[in-house]
Amino acid sequence: MLSTQQSQDRIKVIVVTTALALAAAVFYWTALDAAPANGRQLSLYVTVEKDGDLVTGLRDANFRLYEDERSRSFHLDQPESPASIALLLEYGPNYGLFHSDLDALMQGFMDKAPDGNWYGLATFSHDLAVDVDFTKERARLSQAYAQLGPPGWNESDTFDAVYSMLDKMSRLPGRRVLIVAGSGIDTFSGHTLDDVEKKLESANVIVYTIGLGSMLRGEYEPYLGQDARITLLQAEAFLKMLATDSGGEAWLPNLEGAYPDVINGIMQDLASQYRIVYDSQAPADGKLHKVKVEAFQVVNDKRSDFKVRVRNGWRF
Amino acid sequence: MALLCCELVLLPILGCTEHLVAPKPPLAPSLFRPLEADLQRSYLDLFRISPELHYTSEQINQVHDYLKHVEDYCVAQYKKKADEYQSRLEQEQGSLKKQNVSLSGAKRHDTHCEIQNLRALKSQTEVIAQHAIPVAYDNREAKLDLIEQWPGQLRQVRQEIADGSYRNRRWGDVQDIGFRQIESGQEDDIKDGEEAIKQMKQSGLMPKAVESPEIVDYVTRVAERIAARSDLHVPLHVTVLNSKEINAFALPGGFLFVNRGLLEAADDESELAGVMAHETGHVVARHSHQLMTRSTIAQLIYQTAQVAGAVLTGGAASIGVYYALQYGFYGLGLALDLRLLGVSRDYELQADQLGVQFTWNAGYDPTGFIRFFDKMATQEGYVNGVSWFYDHPPFYERMVDAEREIMFLPPKTNVVVQTPEFQQMKTVLNKVRAKADEEERQRPSLLAPEQGCPAPQKAEYDSDKPIETLCSVPNNLKTASK
Repeated sequence: MLSTQQSQDRIKVIVVTTALALAAAVFYWTALDAAPANGRQLSLYVTVEKDGDLVTGLRDANFRLYEDERSRSFHLDQPESPASIALLLEYGPNYGLFHSDLDALMQGFMDKAPDGNWYGLATFSHDLAVDVDFTKERARLSQAYAQLGPPGWNESDTFDAVYSMLDKMSRLPGRRVLIVAGSGIDTFSGHTLDDVEKKLESANVIVYTIGLGSMLRGEYEPYLGQDARITLLQAEAFLKMLATDSGGEAWLPNLEGAYPDVINGIMQDLASQYRIVYDSQAPADGKLHKVKVEAFQVVNDKRSDFKVRVRNGWRF
Repeated sequence: MALLCCELVLLPILGCTEHLVAPKPPLAPSLFRPLEADLQRSYLDLFRISPELHYTSEQINQVHDYLKHVEDYCVAQYKKKADEYQSRLEQEQGSLKKQNVSLSGAKRHDTHCEIQNLRALKSQTEVIAQHAIPVAYDNREAKLDLIEQWPGQLRQVRQEIADGSYRNRRWGDVQDIGFRQIESGQEDDIKDGEEAIKQMKQSGLMPKAVESPEIVDYVTRVAERIAARSDLHVPLHVTVLNSKEINAFALPGGFLFVNRGLLEAADDESELAGVMAHETGHVVARHSHQLMTRSTIAQLIYQTAQVAGAVLTGGAASIGVYYALQYGFYGLGLALDLRLLGVSRDYELQADQLGVQFTWNAGYDPTGFIRFFDKMATQEGYVNGVSWFYDHPPFYERMVDAEREIMFLPPKTNVVVQTPEFQQMKTVLNKVRAKADEEERQRPSLLAPEQGCPAPQKAEYDSDKPIETLCSVPNNLKTASK
């Protein structure tokens, strides 16, 4: 049997050891939050909504950030300006089916995109073509669009085009936004869906997608056969994935007249986004590190949460 | 028959373009060399010395034929080169695409470098074929016409001055500038001009304005000096746009826009005044209004459809969008070609005449307009950004008409060529330009160069050298003809 003194000593050791362990743990987590393990400061753009309306005016205290399910310290900052916004248009074999959608979309772009940002235009069928490199003169985009010749290839290599644009844009500084307008159908890409997904996770680019072919979702929808429906659903799922995983939004209009409103919606979205700046602790291990942001408001001691759109995570 | 078939149908398709421009025996150096030297002279020099030059019509015609032939030959060579670069580019891109996943890092880098280099070469070669060569040879042709025809024209001008008939020319009443009516109803255009500006701004057609008060005040002073001594009867609004494109344009109702690029390209105040007075001439003659009355709405919509596809058809019937297209796209050198409406040539010549008159009446040296034109055609004509030339009637006609008008104007002493204010403006402009250049350097790019590649090659064209050095045509043709 242990003497009373021995018991007390042992208890003391256990208490001290536990306290030290706790202190070490606290220090470890604090230190981890305070200084990045890999020095990677990131800007995370988030959109906050309530009942479908954009919520603005929130402050640091209204957010919580988690990376790999661990709380991270952060601060809100002004969005980087000017933003680099690229339009990627499908300009391939299906053009005849949705050229009026594209025309309406370009009209909306001319009317609604605000001055001051960098805008670029790229089109794709089999190959990707950069029609207008970044410029502040939006008119250059509509001029280049108007002068596009007939689509050169009978392919829609959507995966390749998106992959390539993400790759190009991932090297740019500041806030990067890619607006993809296409059917979502891929016919002959070298890259797979998995390649695109991984590229999306590694590039800090917000992607907005706009489904072309409003007639297929609208007027012709009742007449589509089973195969066509499945193809359309798969294509739309791809467009949704691009938007959801990157913190953007997918728009699938049923009417040609909705395209200018879609552009307006995207521009409003961008104008209302919050920029969360934090030091990522995620290691460069090629794996996906999940990110979660909570936005809420406390009224009368009661927390009410908002809907948050943010990218899925990072892959370094 | 087979040969005929090949030449007429197959050769362009098969890329045998050089056969379409069969080499000709070279001109005798004794004939070509003296003319070649004269063709390098400025328009103003040629106006002065051409009566002393004595080339026969046969010599002139031979050189005309020769220049045309050389231009075609040279353009064909560069088109062929551009096609070759395109084909190599497609080959490299195809191979990149095929091997994409399996390609090693080093090989991918090398392929990226090669694609980058080919893109640069193709783009430069296309600019040379489509702009540099045609503009340079147009200019040569114009000077040849001048050498041939100006002595006769000069005699006629002197005769008209001697017998007083020059006063009967269109708008010959220059002593009444400011009191005469070129076209009534200028004030009716103000609303249209305002609407056009609104539309252009909304559509992103209007570059940002230069914010420097020194520059804006200076340009406004020059513009107001011209306006005060012109036939403009509406208030003038001047905006300096921060665009490097060498251009100025006027919207109906007295809205004058001057690009930073124009201020940079002008070497003295009389050159700047010449271009601004030309644009004021468009407003005074209400060319925009006349375009409206000459064309039906259907034609305009057709025009619009041609220019902008279906992008802007929704609003094409509105006057604002119409003006935005006519002046915005046109003036800014974007797309619309007014020659399709068959009106540009006359209107440009009219604006030239009025511009020369207004410049003279404002006390500026009216030859500044010719000097600026010559400089642009000779030194800058190859540049994509010089939209001022997109609308040109033949150089010869414009230059001769401008010189004729200058000769008809009562002589003035102490005309203004240069001012200290112009030079001060240039100093401030350098800072604005430096800031714009810095912004350009910060511009993100979807075509960002691959790091670590050798510098892209340059197509073999030095814009400071005469265009004749580009294809070395006389020697090539000599070899080919042997």
